Amino acid sequence: MAKELTPFAHAVRNLRRRPSRAAILVVSIGLLVAVFVFALSFVRRVDSSIRRTSERLGADLLVVPTGSRGAAEDVLLDHRVKTFYMDRSIVERVKAIPGIERVTTQTYLATITGACCDVPESIVVAFDPATDFVVRPWLGGKGARTLGKGEAFVGSESALNITLGMTQVDGILFGNVFKMVGVLEKTGTGLDTAIFIDEEGLAGILRGGKANVRPGTISVIFAKVAQGFDPVRVAGEIEDSIIEADAVARRDVGQGMMRALGDISRMFLVTFTLAALLAALLAWAVFSGIANERGREVGLMRAMGARESHVMKLFALEVLIIGALGSAFGILAGTALSLGLARGFAILRNVSTDLGAIERIGVGAAGLAVGIAVCMVGAVAPIRRTGRIEPLAVLKGD
Amino acid sequence: MPRLVAEAVTKTYGLNGTRLRAVDEVSFQVERGEFVSIIGHSGSGKTTFLSMLGGLSRPTSGRVLFDGTDVYGLGGDALSRYRCDSVGFVFQFASLLPALTAWENVLLPAGFRESRLSVDEAEAKALELLALVGLRDRADAYPSQLSGGQQRRVAIARAFMNDPPLLLADEPTGDLDEETEAEVMKVFRTMNERSGTTFVLVTHDTELARQAGRRMRMHRGSMREV
Repeated sequence: MAKELTPFAHAVRNLRRRPSRAAILVVSIGLLVAVFVFALSFVRRVDSSIRRTSERLGADLLVVPTGSRGAAEDVLLDHRVKTFYMDRSIVERVKAIPGIERVTTQTYLATITGACCDVPESIVVAFDPATDFVVRPWLGGKGARTLGKGEAFVGSESALNITLGMTQVDGILFGNVFKMVGVLEKTGTGLDTAIFIDEEGLAGILRGGKANVRPGTISVIFAKVAQGFDPVRVAGEIEDSIIEADAVARRDVGQGMMRALGDISRMFLVTFTLAALLAALLAWAVFSGIANERGREVGLMRAMGARESHVMKLFALEVLIIGALGSAFGILAGTALSLGLARGFAILRNVSTDLGAIERIGVGAAGLAVGIAVCMVGAVAPIRRTGRIEPLAVLKGD
Repeated sequence: MPRLVAEAVTKTYGLNGTRLRAVDEVSFQVERGEFVSIIGHSGSGKTTFLSMLGGLSRPTSGRVLFDGTDVYGLGGDALSRYRCDSVGFVFQFASLLPALTAWENVLLPAGFRESRLSVDEAEAKALELLALVGLRDRADAYPSQLSGGQQRRVAIARAFMNDPPLLLADEPTGDLDEETEAEVMKVFRTMNERSGTTFVLVTHDTELARQAGRRMRMHRGSMREV
């Protein structure tokens, strides 16, 4: 004997009567949701990478040489190997700006494989352990560990770390031998691929003369702003007072990339809206066909006492099943696309972070809601029409 | 109080710009437990009249009263409740849902009731009704796997699922052989005697009509007792 006749079981049976028609609608909804999940994953991944980076830097302000803001963001957000320098005397001028509480500096050197160094092309970051508040938190449990003479840390994704697979190895940087004594925690910033030395190590490199950096220069000043001061205003003060420097408040880090992302999002939105319209029209056409085909059956059910709500519920369940199946297929396909095609997009190739499990679940849930909603919107008119079919239809015969 | 009353019921249709009176001021009443047949030629208005009694088609004028309640004075859901709880309908055409088995087709009206039987009770009752029409062993067959006569018997079993006090049958034995026709009529009589179900049977078969307690004849939309 068959199982209990629930409205859900009835709806499934109805869909099985024309499996190819149901499958076409499932695939259409699936493709729409795949586009949605892919686009949302793309945008969320870039967006969350930028936000995490600005949060993990631990500074309220970044001060860089005038005109180097883009290059600094390329290094911090995009793993690019770029260098830019300003005179160290700017540090004191920044400290003198009202609202500045603490500052620390970093100097960036670019390695050239084979010419100076035995590591693949990457950024070498020289920081000042005495004032540092950026790199120290990335040491995790090794927080107390300081760098000795000729020692270096490597970022979590540093080519050196990945190539050698372990620490306590030697690397040649600008003709000087450094022992890699620790790996920093993953930060989600572009500096995950860098090598970190202290100012003393930098001085040794400069003495050797193999690095193309003038003594007395730095690349970036990280500043903390005192409580009660607005970082954006302080940044403005710095730019007004120090013509050789650009200042960027933390919340403005990555604004250029965010603007580009906004354009990409709008492009996705237009494409998705058109695709959603197409899918809704297809759902309308399919369910209009179903409603026409089943007019007599609906009339029969109404003659047996089915209320409008019974009939609409049955059709709505069919829509829900198709929407849910299509969405599930789309979520899988969209996630696979976002993972598989990530390397094909320059903007994603260099983005430091992937989406976390919770974000992936959120994107999936949004995909499910969108797939079902589009299917429902398309089918709502035919469903309402079936609900209004009069029982007399059954008497009209075959 | 009579079970069912039709008061000057009229139904007109528009046809090629003129009004056709399919049923013309028919008054009629049926007592509780009565078995009435309505005979007439095709196009005499029998089916239209039956559909008005069953709450399927609103009369152009006149009233239909069931246990004193004006059926067409009821709102949408209350009218559905009338069709669900008070009326069993056997249609003259094949009327099974193709996606459901015979057993599920019989079970279907139980799902529309507000005061439902338990699942087990409903399932057992559906099987019992299939046994009553001789199709217990075909319970899992789909309509496409049943003959026309078998489908008709399943539809008859379904009409009794909600224990309706009134059963309206439109040519219920139209495509049945003589033996099956006799079995169906036996089922009707059994339900009429055992449960006190009121029957209104529409047919063009005079022999079948004779088996009813009272016979009416419809001709060109008018009705008289035979």
